[in-house]
Parts: sequence; structure tokens; C-alpha cells
Amino acid sequence: MPRIKKARIAIRIDMTPFVDIGFLLLTFFMLTTQFKPPEEVVIELPQSHSEFKLPESDVMMITLTKDDRIFLGLDAQRVKVSVLSDVVRRNWEFYSEDIRKQYQTPEAMVKLAPGVEVTIKDLPDLLIKARITNPKLRTVVKGDKDANYGVIEDVMDILQKTQITRFNLITNFEHN
Amino acid sequence: MGAVDSAAPRGHGKKKGKRRKPRRTGIRIDMTPFVDIAFLLLTFFMLTTTMTKPQTMEINLPPSSDVKVEIAESNLMTLRVKEDGSMFWNLGIESPNKVEFNNLRALLRERYEQNPKITVLLKIDRKGKYQMMVDIIDEFNVAGMPRFSIAPMQETDFKVLAKVSS
Repeated sequence: MPRIKKARIAIRIDMTPFVDIGFLLLTFFMLTTQFKPPEEVVIELPQSHSEFKLPESDVMMITLTKDDRIFLGLDAQRVKVSVLSDVVRRNWEFYSEDIRKQYQTPEAMVKLAPGVEVTIKDLPDLLIKARITNPKLRTVVKGDKDANYGVIEDVMDILQKTQITRFNLITNFEHN
Repeated sequence: MGAVDSAAPRGHGKKKGKRRKPRRTGIRIDMTPFVDIAFLLLTFFMLTTTMTKPQTMEINLPPSSDVKVEIAESNLMTLRVKEDGSMFWNLGIESPNKVEFNNLRALLRERYEQNPKITVLLKIDRKGKYQMMVDIIDEFNVAGMPRFSIAPMQETDFKVLAKVSS
């Protein structure tokens, strides 16, 4: 007697919870993700064991590149415009062709550029002006690890002279 | 995957009422492409997101360089760093000794244990690299050295170093 074949039951897995979790994670990552802020120049950070976190807002960033150029950046648009407008207009001629082509006008550059190149002579006035516009500003120095120490020394001297005695150096965390 | 049943046919044929409801056809939307895209985005965000925030190192400078802080000579340790990164340390006005970077932490700990009031004065050649300063200050922090100061290298410092090297 032939066996009666059982009718196969189609296996249906309910995917709903899986998809729910998928969307939950998607929302989480979409909301928490922070894209790397644009940079004018690539900075290779030095390593340290320090574990202080970078403050979220009210940051004044002094960037020192490895070819010893200085960039000043401020995170609040209002402060940035009021502090940097003059210096950008004055230095407009000295910026490279590429930069001038990219931003077209000094006004646009102040608004759009994450940081503008400044000379060491301009720096004290700009720092004082920035501190007057927003006294809560935290000064952060972001130096390339191959930058010359001389420039850092000059910048620290200026910081000291402009009464900014507390500042942070950005570093990468070193694991060991 | 992810097919959604909406309005599944309800208990047909069980009750025999007066009015027979017309059989509803279940609308089935195929959710598969939608879910596919969602997972694609999920993977994208998971891979691009960087959870690490940059670390910072806090530095406090004395309010103004005009203010002279008096330190007893015995409590002062000077650490001079040459252009090539070689380091020389000395206490007070003793003549400098060379120290390798790997031994710096142990040296700092030892000095600090012997004299908790010690202050380190860090002098780095202008032609040196920023990385040196960060490394050394990091060593100060790791070794738990609470008081240190940064000063520019002067002519006299170069003379002292020249005497040691030659």
C-alpha cells in the first residue's frame, strides 16, 4: 500500500519583527550619525592618551597645517561673520586662485568656508574680537603632527598674551 | 519577505446570515523592494557613522608671561628637546643628561616621587615638530606630573646643549 503523502505546509516565517528592528536601527543611525565636518586641509592629528572630549559648541578652532599655515574657524555663523568679514576682505587678494574661484566673493567665503587662512599678525586682534563677540568661546588648537613647533610656540604666545590661558589640543586617542 | 496582508478574508461560510457579505479580496502589497532599500540605507549609515569623537588635551598657561613665578632651584627640572627630538634633562643648574623617550615616563615618576614639589620646564627647539610637544605633555599627564610649564628655547639653552653634545 502506497503511503499517503502528507501535503506539505508552506513555511512562512513572519518577517515583521525583523523588519521592525531593521527600521528601528535605521532610524537610530540616521539620527545619530554626524558627518565629518568639511576641512580646508587634511590634518593628521598627533596621538595622546588624553580622554577629554571636544566641546560641542562655542568652539574657536585654530588649525595649524603641516606647511605652517594658520586657519581660524568658528562654529557659530553669527560670530564667524562678524569676526572674520574684515580680514577676509582685506586678504582676498592673497588667497589662491582656486579658493577665490570656489567662493567667488569674500562674503560667501566667510559664510561657507569652515575656516579661513589668517596670518600670525592678524591672529591677536581676531582672537580678542571673537572673545568679545562670544565670551563663552572655547579655544581649540588643531595642529598637524608634522607642523613646526615654532608656529605652535608663536600661537601659544599669542593665546597667552590675549589672556586665553586655557585651551585644548585635539589629538587622536592612542590605544596602549 | 515582508509581505503585508491587509484585510484577510474573514470567517466566510461559517455564519449563514441573511446578507452574504461579498468576499473581500486581500490586498497584498509586495513590501520586498521597500524593505530592501531600508536595509541598504541601514548598512550605509552603520558603516559611515563614526562613533569616536576627537579627544582633546587641556593645557593651562599662566595668565601672563610678565608674571614671574619664583621656583626654588631644587624644585626645577628642565627638559630641553633638540630639533631631532633628542631630550636632555637636568635639575636646577646641573649639567644635562640625555634621556630616551621610552625612559621618560619612568624618569618623571622617579623625580616626582623623590620630590612632589617638582616643576618641569619644557623647552623645545623651534625647528622641532608639534608631535614632540604633544608626546611629551602626554607623558607628563600619564606620569601624573601636575606642574609643568612651556618656555621658549633661548641662546643660553643652545649653549648648554652644545656643551653636552660636544
